[in-house]
Amino acid sequence: MEQSLPTIVSASQPSLGARLTSPDTQGATQELARLGAGLGLAALYGLALGARSGGMALVQHALGASAGLAAVGVLGMPALFVLLALVDAPVSPGAMLSVGARSLASAGFVLAGLAPSAALLAVTIESPDAAAFVTRAGLTLAGSIGLYQLTSSVRAMLEELPSEQRLKCNVLLFGFSLFAIMLAARVWYTLPILKGAA
Amino acid sequence: MNSQVLQVFDELLRSPRRVAERSRAGGDLRPLFVASLGALVLGAGVFGATLATSRGGLQLLYSGLKLPLAMVGTMLLVVPAFHAIAAGLGRPLSFSGMIGLTLAAAGRGALVLIALSPLIWLSFDRGLSYHPGVLLAAACYALAGVAALDLVLKGVGFDARGLVIVSLFAGVLLATGGQTAWMLRPFLGRPSAPSVPFFRPRESSFWDAVQQSSLSSFGVYRVTRALSSAEGRSPNPPNPPGPRLENSDESR
Repeated sequence: MEQSLPTIVSASQPSLGARLTSPDTQGATQELARLGAGLGLAALYGLALGARSGGMALVQHALGASAGLAAVGVLGMPALFVLLALVDAPVSPGAMLSVGARSLASAGFVLAGLAPSAALLAVTIESPDAAAFVTRAGLTLAGSIGLYQLTSSVRAMLEELPSEQRLKCNVLLFGFSLFAIMLAARVWYTLPILKGAA
Repeated sequence: MNSQVLQVFDELLRSPRRVAERSRAGGDLRPLFVASLGALVLGAGVFGATLATSRGGLQLLYSGLKLPLAMVGTMLLVVPAFHAIAAGLGRPLSFSGMIGLTLAAAGRGALVLIALSPLIWLSFDRGLSYHPGVLLAAACYALAGVAALDLVLKGVGFDARGLVIVSLFAGVLLATGGQTAWMLRPFLGRPSAPSVPFFRPRESSFWDAVQQSSLSSFGVYRVTRALSSAEGRSPNPPNPPGPRLENSDESR
């Protein structure tokens, strides 16, 4: 899948997207800042959805959109680290923090990118079902990209392992992916727009 | 500057790869922006006015103004999504390069619309009716969209990851562009309408309209709930008493 195509970031200053999704591991403070930026960006998508009803719905949706990602970070990532450590995978808390921050920042960045379109669609579509469909599509897209970032980064850490051990890790990673999807969906389904709010 | 703009115009048609490389390289993108925006406004304006030949009169002016507005508005809304999707999938591009790439793609698509305008005009002139006309216009948009996405694909890289990025972007573009155009309708104008409105009131959504036009072009007319209630009938009668023409009240 990798190719020789040059990335299109200008040489002087990498874009916000490049910095948020960069595979370079940084210190804990920078990683937490990256995580915070991702959650903040996800809130923009929530604000766009909340514009359908206005008022308190703006805050509800902003918090809800970020909370889905935050839940995966807080509840899922430590559990994944423990499980991978149990099968003696070469992971460290710092590396897992970096992977988690990058994945959630990627998902948040995608949600923020979708926010202008989401605002237009949420405000102008009359049918609550269609509005809910559009919301689900955006959350699914961003969540999938975040999960893709996470699984590909973790798998890159496992390349040196013997095949049997790598298989165990991949099974755990698959289980974690299912858990992360269910957890994020559980939190996101508290959004009023997904419950048919006009 | 002028010669550079003209050169970009030519490249939009002949050398999409060179335009994509120009966007990626960064630097002075002003000629690219000017040429692409010019192509976008000109192409969409001509195509919009051509669509309105089915109705004529003031609709020609309105559609010629509104279609460029819809396309530029859509570009503004979808560029952040494109930027984020590409970055999230490991192809981070500079934001200005991304704007250049998207604008160039839209400009290329608009030039394709110019090429298709005579076909649209001739079809309406030869008596193409309203709903098939809507579908023909949608097919023209699709063709222009393919030409535009080809340029985008050359920009993000012609491989599996590039295809995924462009497919996801196309989904966002379709939903956003469709709804933007739906809000700014009518572009063709209702044939039976006594006057031409600049905007129609907000109602339904783009996808409902696509579904309805598709059915109507095959002679299947749905009875709307509102109309049925007004006439005291069930919305889904067991034996429909023949085609209902309430869809002709819609305009695209």
